[in-house]
Amino acid sequence: MSAVLLLLRKDLRVLRRSPLLLAALVAYPIVIALLVGLVAGYASAKPRVAFVDDDNLPKVIVVGGHRFHIQTVIDDVAKQVTLVRLPDAEASRELADGKVVATITVPPGFLGDLQTTVVSPHLILKTGSGGLAPRVTQQMQSLVYQLNQKLQSGYIAANLAFVQLLLHGGHGRFLGKSFDVLGLDRTAKELAAMPQSKRVAAIANFVRQARAGLAQTGDALRATANPIALQQAKSHGRTWLLSAQVQSYGIAVTVTFLALLLAAGATAAERDEGTIGRLRRGLVSLGQLVWSKVALAGVVGLVLGAAIAVVFGVVVDVGGITGGEPWARLPLLLAGVLLAAGVVGAAGALLGAVAREARTASLLAVLLVLPVVFIGLVPRASLPFAYWISLFLPFVHAVRLFGAALYDTSPWHRVGIEALWLLGIGAASWMLARLAARTLTA
Amino acid sequence: MTDVILRAVRVARRYGDVVALATTDVELHAGETVALVGPNGAGKSTLLAILAGAIEPTEGTVESHARVGWVPQRPAHYSRLSARENLELFARLEGVGDPAGAAARLLERFALPTAARPSGELSVGNRQRLNVALALLGDPRVLLLDEPTAALDPGQRRRVWEAADALRADGGAVCFATQNLEEIEHATRTIVLQDGRIASLTVEEVFG
Repeated sequence: MSAVLLLLRKDLRVLRRSPLLLAALVAYPIVIALLVGLVAGYASAKPRVAFVDDDNLPKVIVVGGHRFHIQTVIDDVAKQVTLVRLPDAEASRELADGKVVATITVPPGFLGDLQTTVVSPHLILKTGSGGLAPRVTQQMQSLVYQLNQKLQSGYIAANLAFVQLLLHGGHGRFLGKSFDVLGLDRTAKELAAMPQSKRVAAIANFVRQARAGLAQTGDALRATANPIALQQAKSHGRTWLLSAQVQSYGIAVTVTFLALLLAAGATAAERDEGTIGRLRRGLVSLGQLVWSKVALAGVVGLVLGAAIAVVFGVVVDVGGITGGEPWARLPLLLAGVLLAAGVVGAAGALLGAVAREARTASLLAVLLVLPVVFIGLVPRASLPFAYWISLFLPFVHAVRLFGAALYDTSPWHRVGIEALWLLGIGAASWMLARLAARTLTA
Repeated sequence: MTDVILRAVRVARRYGDVVALATTDVELHAGETVALVGPNGAGKSTLLAILAGAIEPTEGTVESHARVGWVPQRPAHYSRLSARENLELFARLEGVGDPAGAAARLLERFALPTAARPSGELSVGNRQRLNVALALLGDPRVLLLDEPTAALDPGQRRRVWEAADALRADGGAVCFATQNLEEIEHATRTIVLQDGRIASLTVEEVFG
């Protein structure tokens, strides 16, 4: 058996005999997976939104001669959120308590403004500060967009009624006032009955042009209301983006944290135990020593990653969360986990060699892992410098690789790029760790 | 003079500006036992570790013509593994043909606990015996001992010296560091170290 395998077996045996650490290693992925599963489930569930009707909307409203059933509109909204009718004060209280993630209020005078068809009434949206607030805001924006689409036909019909009045004449009402309109048709007839002159001919010409132009008003109004219409096409890819991100981050955080901690601790422990001196007497090369810690991180990371993925998948399947767990992608995910854990292990070996003491190495690993993780979460647009730094750390590539392995319709390109990044970071870490290990003396 | 088994040529070790061992030449011959004597910080442990290959000299080279066993001053073994597991692991790393058999023989020879008890929980004396036993894996011809009997009872000290004397009698070489002047009687030659250098002093002059 090679020296690397002998040391790996030794490290695994030592790990097995450290009850507290072992308990933490077993519990950590389960807790992370359950939390991740719950977050995914919560994110997948419909948020509870309070509906405050301060205008006492009737069951049916008429806009521009079109009838709208309020309950039907509410049912449409309920496909995206759970809409709960509440009085204003109670809604505010529940929003403050976090029992609802948002309140949407129909203010007094809303219906009146709506029926005038000349003023845009306002719905008032208040959101809490939780992580779902942006999602609810988007859903409410979507709702208003859908309502506007339905209302615009009513508005267009109302506006067209006025155009018809201008064209054909008759009796009309606007802002509560009644009036009679001669209309272009009757104007043309009146002009034809009048003694013809150049001035009458000019007016008759204008009336013809106006009639022709107003006849196109309907299409023009509809085009103005929808300059660009969005047609939603069905996608064949996986759409459960949030779940992909949550699972990818859950596994990546766990693997990064534990692989770094284990490899750093195990490397420094060789010096603490005094065994580094025995090993360096030609029994194990420095390269083999670093490889053994890389292997330790890889094996433990693989087991923990698999545990998280399986527990997460079971939670997802049992919870009936939309999208389900892509079990067929598990081998690709686990290959990625093995690679990422090994790369982090090389960085951990470097840390252990530099720290030289297991306690210092463990503390450093804990202190380092949080910035490494958080810097990977910084969006490129908000802090480009942090983004560029994160590219040279394994975490962000691990997240992208796991996400692609699980949920990309065609994952190979993305997986290949991220694997190359990880291999590059791993090779650099391995070389630095081997160099730093020269300073490890008994 | 008999055959040279181990030779250190102009070896030195520095840690930054601190000289742990100044440029030194040492030879170990078959059939001799060399005592390294000197006060704390004289460079005895550094010289032994360099001879054993446990640390690299800052300059100079070590030529070895035989398997070398090394007993470091501080017991060096995996504390979560039992004595048997430590012996078997290092036997495999040493390339010993029958690791389990070699471990069993050394456990018996040094009266080490055979139970699967972590070696970190053993008494100081037992840990030091395990330390010596690990050095004897693979039947080395050179034995380098760094204050090997410091934590041992008289019976165990005798066993260690019996093992060293047997190795020397068998044509091997032994080099040990000590501050115990009574142990110098086991040596056929004495090297005095002071301030990281071989000193032309007698033992009595060094310790006053």
